[in-house]
Amino acid sequence: MAQIELKSLTKSYKTGKVLKGVSLAAEAGEIVCVFGPSGVGKTVLLRLIAGVEEADAGSIVLEGRDVTDAPPETRGVGIAFQNYALFPHMSAFDNIGSALTAHGASASTIKLKVEKIAEMLKISHVLSHLPRALSNGQKQRTALARALAADPKIVLLDDPLRNVDAKLRYEMRLELPALLRASGATVLYVTQDYKEAMAIGDRIAVLVEGRIEQIATPAAIYRGPRSVGVARLFGDPSINLIPIKPEATATGAVCEIGGATVSLAGVNVGTAGRSLLLGLRPEALAVSDRQTLGAFPVEVVAVTPLNEKTVLLMRTRDGQEIFASEAGVESEGRQPGPAFARFDPARALVFDEASGARMEGSV
Amino acid sequence: MNMTSPFNQAQSINEVALSLAGVDKIYASTARKPVHAVQALDLDVRRGEIVALLGSSGCGKTSTLRMIAGFESVTNGSITLAGRRIETLPPARRGVAMAFEGYSLYPPLTVRDNIAFALKSARISAADASKAVEEMAALVEITPILDRYPSSISGGQQQRASLARALVRPADLYLLDEPMGQLEPRLRALLRGRLKRLLNERGMTSIFVTHDQTEANALADRVAVMEGGVLQQLANQTELKERPANLYVATFIGEPPMNVFDAKVEIGERVRFLVKDGLALDFSANAFSEAARAAFARRARAVIGVRPHDIRLGSGSNEAKLASNQWLGDQSHLAFDVAGKLMVAVAFDEVSAARGEVMRYDIDSAKLHVFDIDSGKAVSHGAEAA
Repeated sequence: MAQIELKSLTKSYKTGKVLKGVSLAAEAGEIVCVFGPSGVGKTVLLRLIAGVEEADAGSIVLEGRDVTDAPPETRGVGIAFQNYALFPHMSAFDNIGSALTAHGASASTIKLKVEKIAEMLKISHVLSHLPRALSNGQKQRTALARALAADPKIVLLDDPLRNVDAKLRYEMRLELPALLRASGATVLYVTQDYKEAMAIGDRIAVLVEGRIEQIATPAAIYRGPRSVGVARLFGDPSINLIPIKPEATATGAVCEIGGATVSLAGVNVGTAGRSLLLGLRPEALAVSDRQTLGAFPVEVVAVTPLNEKTVLLMRTRDGQEIFASEAGVESEGRQPGPAFARFDPARALVFDEASGARMEGSV
Repeated sequence: MNMTSPFNQAQSINEVALSLAGVDKIYASTARKPVHAVQALDLDVRRGEIVALLGSSGCGKTSTLRMIAGFESVTNGSITLAGRRIETLPPARRGVAMAFEGYSLYPPLTVRDNIAFALKSARISAADASKAVEEMAALVEITPILDRYPSSISGGQQQRASLARALVRPADLYLLDEPMGQLEPRLRALLRGRLKRLLNERGMTSIFVTHDQTEANALADRVAVMEGGVLQQLANQTELKERPANLYVATFIGEPPMNVFDAKVEIGERVRFLVKDGLALDFSANAFSEAARAAFARRARAVIGVRPHDIRLGSGSNEAKLASNQWLGDQSHLAFDVAGKLMVAVAFDEVSAARGEVMRYDIDSAKLHVFDIDSGKAVSHGAEAA
């Protein structure tokens, strides 16, 4: 049974409609990342579920109980906000314990539970500190500990890693899924970092312009985004989108890219003559010095290393800038200058230019 | 984009353009102890070279840039640019072009006039100047806002406008402070590539400050890693990765960072590094040069390190339990419980292994880094002594 069930939630402010009918179901113990660019209503969605704001329409069912009109304190959710919201006059211990005090737990129970969760989150040594004596990372862990302390069945986390430094963010990205799973809670996790969403979520709900555009596993979304809007949000550098107009030939569909005729064999392009966007992720492009079958000419503008990969900024003959990324040795000795790019048809994503929808059957 | 320029400079990469010698910056304070923000800095930048000053906040990178620009006095030492001592000259007479936070656009001028203003003294025709402005605006993607005033454009656009203003004019040196701070990722990647092309093609000697190693590695020919006011290493990015001078550089450069462990060193016919909880790396002594073996023999303990991309998965004599396996679309990050912490391995394919699974892995001696346990200085990289 779904532990969190949202049906057609809408919410407007004076500035306009923020949520335009959000429906979502999360199963018990599942971590669903609510992911999207800033300002799409991710935080608003959490606030509606927590009950600190009221939806205009729609319903919220938690653990099988309709809580749409229930006061926040009766909803039984644990929350950690982006700005930590720790009580400044209370030690880390008391902050974490506050979630339990509210439930009338005994002092010995509180001590036991706080110490256990603190150990898991590696903040045992700072439990006596006031928030101002904690580093950002420790504050963030304290807020997380408070959210988890009372063993809530439902946990809402609003971009909890946003304000911690890159190194700690990376470590937490590795550790958080196991921690959350150990708690057994059903988790909605808001983030605007696609890597974080892919690393942490069992599924990702992609929120674009007040609607959930797609909800699926990280792999399914990366390989089969429903629309251009979703495709663009994943990948670094992001997906290349090349406008094409496929033509039918005796040997199959072809299109023109930068003055070269490129075969679209193995790519579903629907009816010929339609305006489409050919979506090629940088790692789906292979670059060569020599003209090979199906390759189109490019100018390598710049070779920029990206961690263990190398990103090539290339320009097609008609001036479009696209990226290719290569792993390690592939790029040895790579220099700016003329080259040829080829894509693997099995990894090409095709979108209808007008609607942005991905063509059925592509991938 | 056409990169022809009215002021093409001849490239001569081995000639030193900028030289800092024994530069100190000490901020004196009556209330507190003086702060030694930059310590005995020696730094040579070759003509046409792009150097990144990289470090976390407070490392001294920005003080260094400001001293070169002339916004900050030099406590000790000298700065020589194109053969001239400049450390006591006012900023305007140093021959540097800069894009700094706080070095803002002139509010009464449009973006176009702000950029063109930088060309006033360049003795080029109005037509050429106008073309140069347009070209630079296109490069940083601000063409549509050229006729707007600074107060009516976003922070990111202001940043790009001041970048264009700095780049449009001829100068002996270009100083850029976090040039791509607040851009959305695709545009940032685009500008990185275009900027690198421009600087290389025109041989523009440049120094830029960043806290982002991705930016530093993407753009710079060499990266100066700073920490605690001290230059830790100045090298190209391959060398920083393969031959980090010390543990600080080793764990700072590289994403995800290098895995490091304290180990007991045993040397005989075999070279063994014994980490706690049973992790033991065992190599034939021949895998290391004589100098490296001698360096190991002088130590009972050392810090060993291996980069996440250098761990070979699926075979080898070591085993570890998988704590997490995260696929990010173009690479997998696997974390293992090893000696009380997480050891991270990266693969460019999706790896089908679940949490809790025990996997074999191998660490090649050629990919092993050894550091002194006290000083953190590199002892060896692969077979060779550091």
